[in-house]
Parts: sequence; structure tokens; C-alpha cells
Amino acid sequence: MLHIKPILSSLMRSKSSPILLLLQIILSVAIVANASFIIYERLSLMQRESGYAEAQILTFSVYNFDPAIDNIKQNEVDQLILRALPNVIDASSSNMLPLSGGGWMDRYVDGPNEDTAKSTPGFAFYLGNDHLLNVMGAKLVAGRNFNPDEINTNIDDSGMLALVSQPLAKAFWGDESPLGKTMYQGTQTVTIIGVVDKLQGAWVDHENFEYSVIQNVDFGGSSSNKMYMVRALPEHIPALEEAIRSALHAENPNRVLDNFQTVAELRNLSYSNHRLMATVLSMMVVLLLLITALGLTGMVMFNIQRRTKQIGTRRALGARKRDIIQYFMVENYLICIVGGLIGGVLALVLGQQLMSLYSLPMVPVIYPIMSVIGLLVVTTLAVIVPATKAANISPAMATRSV
Amino acid sequence: MLSMKNINKVFKTDLVETHALRDFNLEVKEGEFVAVTGPSGSGKTTFLNIAGLLEGFTSGEFSLDGVNVSNLSDNHSAKVRNEKIGFIFQGFNLIPDLNLAENVEVPLRYRGMDANERKRRVESALEQVGLGARMQHLPTQLSGGQQQRVAIARALAGEPRFLLADEPTGNLDSLMARQVMELLEKINQQGTTIIMVTHDPELARRAQRNIQIVDGQVCDFSMYQPAATGTR
Repeated sequence: MLHIKPILSSLMRSKSSPILLLLQIILSVAIVANASFIIYERLSLMQRESGYAEAQILTFSVYNFDPAIDNIKQNEVDQLILRALPNVIDASSSNMLPLSGGGWMDRYVDGPNEDTAKSTPGFAFYLGNDHLLNVMGAKLVAGRNFNPDEINTNIDDSGMLALVSQPLAKAFWGDESPLGKTMYQGTQTVTIIGVVDKLQGAWVDHENFEYSVIQNVDFGGSSSNKMYMVRALPEHIPALEEAIRSALHAENPNRVLDNFQTVAELRNLSYSNHRLMATVLSMMVVLLLLITALGLTGMVMFNIQRRTKQIGTRRALGARKRDIIQYFMVENYLICIVGGLIGGVLALVLGQQLMSLYSLPMVPVIYPIMSVIGLLVVTTLAVIVPATKAANISPAMATRSV
Repeated sequence: MLSMKNINKVFKTDLVETHALRDFNLEVKEGEFVAVTGPSGSGKTTFLNIAGLLEGFTSGEFSLDGVNVSNLSDNHSAKVRNEKIGFIFQGFNLIPDLNLAENVEVPLRYRGMDANERKRRVESALEQVGLGARMQHLPTQLSGGQQQRVAIARALAGEPRFLLADEPTGNLDSLMARQVMELLEKINQQGTTIIMVTHDPELARRAQRNIQIVDGQVCDFSMYQPAATGTR
């Protein structure tokens, strides 16, 4: 027997403090539901697979200040040295680093006439040699990789070949195979020879994050400032930096090696804003629930003070301790459920506003529901202790003349 | 009906031991109307609390309706209070947020009675105290005398074996006090045992039997000789 009816009519007759609590619960549910959804969104962004062997790829930059240097030659020699280092699986030069927040972006068009040709979406534009795929740990799902004899040393060379990421291929060609297609980039033509399962770009918040292309240019030869990626098993990475420094400096000391970072570290940095947002919102959710819990506990304690004699009378009239506990539980569950329902609706309305104002995705119904369930747990924890205290009020309180 | 033998109640603090009741003996027979008087601090309230199973006692034997209730569990004594004892308090102790019907219903709900039976009993109890037409009113809309009649209806609705009244007219003016007293007498005539604690000697005189508590012990001036003292 829950005795909901008399509890409800009693609540309806002394509305003011339950209404304040109700408002608090409504707002808590609305905010907690939306905040948890945003947290979830951020976390799932952060958990996206990159397709890279993140922890196995050590990246670094080289700044040459030797004016006599032959960049093309030096680049070839350096890569041979890197690949020959103990424990190194493979190494390659590149023009940009995955998930680093900086890099090149470009697009192709599908015909020579720029006015009539259709343009691909923008994509991250990697330049690399036949080793790059292996260094990245990316998986070819159709076509082939570049052959060693197909690698250009300059971006303006002819005979450009491209590997495209599967999401880009799907977005532009749909179900049609992109293999063998000729695309145009300014005056150059590019032939697509392979499709890579997954290849993310540099910008984690960009809507075209999954669209990438690798073109057959050994970029390390085109510039005196170069970037390299070296792949090794994670346990060998810590020792690798020193090995690379001494090997490359032994070859040519006139340069600075800098920015040693694994792709995993780059990823961490790129997602740090999201992590911060998720952390701040999580703290807010916890804080809100805590404040609500304190509000509930406060109201129950106040009610117990106010109703000491009533509780004693109820005990005298035959209420067991658990009837008293149950009374307070039911009373607060009622407030919590009503507040939860209104708050849930408000959460959806708020979600709708956020969606239209900040183009956030709509909060799914499960979030308000989970928030209400969470709040019921909080209510239980917040009410059970003072309610137990109330149950210990002596029935003799009924005859006390206060 | 009610039998207390050598009941002692000692309150202990770090410094002193206070004997609220000392070898307290009392027999109340079925159908009696007993008034318990005594100066303040004599142990009246302690007696009332023990008789109503509202608090325990230090030593002695207490049986109610032939059942030993000396060492009941908390839940069990709640059940006995609910089923056998009707309480009438000096301050009425109605629940302000509940209307009259809901107030009278409180002990019936704790008994787990079904809704139809509750409704029947609430109506009949409020009819009996002359407030059948005001079931939806709140206690604050009533005069003190009416509120006490609601409390009496609440006590009667459970059809208890006996009524325990604590200064039932203490908060009422003399006219209302008389009406409440008449109601109690009527209830007693219908066969319900009543024990009434009061400090008002005039009121006490209207009961069949007077018991005076002095310093935690009984001075019995009644026409009956309590059995407990006879067997000593």
C-alpha cells in the first residue's frame, strides 16, 4: 500500500516548498538531459577510429639550414637511413600530419572545363611516396598502391596518381568505382588508382574530416623543411627519437630536428577542446544533481522538523517505521516524477532550440528518460537518510505538549 | 482488559536516575471509564505512554486484552496500537493537510483495510460524532471542539478495544468540553473501555472510577479494589 492519494492531496494543500523543488527538478532534468547528450556527442567524436596506427607512428620535422644541400638527394638518403634504423617498420616523408590541426586542403574537378566540371568536396591533401600507406597503417580496399618508380619529386610534375579515402569515393562517385577515373587539378590531370578504407584529415571538427587523398609526390624533396613519419611498435617509440636524431645528424649535422610527436599525441591535442567541454559539462551535471540532492534532503529535513508531532501521531496510530520512510519516499518520488515529466518535455524543447540556434543534433528521447531515472536514484539517496531519521521519532511525541 | 503489575520506569541521565513510575499496579476491566488524575510531574504522561505502547518501561509486566505486551517488537506494538487502542490527544493531533475523511482514514490505511471498508467506517465514525456532513473540510475550518470530535471519530473508526484519552478537553472551552465529555460517555455506554488522563478533578468525577497518580504510584479511590494489590 503506497497511500499515494492522501500524500498527493497533502502535497496539493501545502504547495510552496514542493513547487520550488519541482522547479529545481524541472530545470535539472532539462539541463542534465541536454548536457549529457552533448557530453555523449563529444565523447563519440573523440572515440572515432582514425584508421591510423596512431601509437606506432612517430612524426617529426626537419629544418635544413645548409645552403648547399640537395633537397631531393638528402630526402632519399634520410628515408633510407630511417628505414634502416633498428625496430623501424617503415618511414616516409609527408607534407602534412594526420589529426594535427594543420595541413593542406584541395579539391578535384571531373573535367577540363572549369565552368561545366563538377567539383569534389574538399579533402585533406597528403603527398607521399609508396611507403606512406604502410607507415600510416591504412588499408587499401580497391586498386593498388603507388609503385616505387611512379613517385614524383615535385608537385608540378606530370603523371599524377591518387589514392582516395572510401568516404570521399562514396560521396563523389556513389556506388561507381573511382578506379581509373581522370580528375583535374588546375592544369594537371590525376588518375585514381586506389581506394583506402579510412584516411582522416588534419582537422577533427571539419565536416570533411573523412575525405582524404594521397598523391604520389615525395614531398621531402621539394622543400628544405620536411616532415617525416616513422612507424615502429609502441614499445620501441620512446627510444626512437634519440636514434633518429643521432642517425640523421651523423649524416648531416646542419639541421634541426624538432616536434617529435606520435599521431596518438597529435590526436590527443586535437581533441583537447572536446575533452575540456565534456569534462566541464560532466562536472556541471554532477553539480546539478548534487544541488538537487541537497534541495531534496533539505526539504525532507525541514518537513520532518515541521511534522515531528504528526510523525509521532502517525506512529501512535499504527504506522510502522517503514510506513514513515515510505511516506517520505513516495512524497518525493511524486515530486520527482512530475518534475521529471515536465523537465523531460522542457529538455526536448531546449534541445530543439539548441538545434536551431547552434545547429546541434536533436537530443534523443532516451536522454530525458535517463536523466529522470538518474534523478530517481538521486532522490532515493537524498531522502532515505532523513526519512530513516524521521522513522525513529518516538510515537510518544504524540502526547508531548509542544 | 488492561493489567499492569509492578511497572517501573526509570529515566537515566549521567547524573541522576528518575523514577517516573514506581511499582505501578493497575487493573482496568472491560467497559470501565477510568479517569487518571494527578499533579504535573506525577507520572501521568508516562503512564499514558506506557499504556498506549508509545514507549517501553524498565521492569514489570503489562498485558492488554489478555496478551502480554511487555516486550513487543516495534512493528508488533505498532500493530497492537493500530488495532486495539484508540488515541485522543489534548492537541487533537489532526493532520492539517488532510481533510476530515482523510484524517479519520489514517489508522485504517495503516491496517491495510480496503477502500470500501475504509469509506464505510469513516462515514459511520464521522456520523457518530455529528460531522458526517463536513467530510471534505480541513481541520483548520473547524472549531476546537469539532476538531476533537474528528479525533474521536478517528479513534473510533478502528473499532478499538479501548480508548486512551490524554486531556481530551484541555484545549477546549467549557461548553465544548462538556460536549466532548458527553460524547465520550456515550461511547463508553456503548461498551468501549476508556482511560482518560486529566488534571481536571471535575471532569474526573464524571468517570466511574478515579485513579490518582502521586510520585509515580497509584492512589486508588475507586469502588473496585485493583486485583494486583490483592494478590501481593
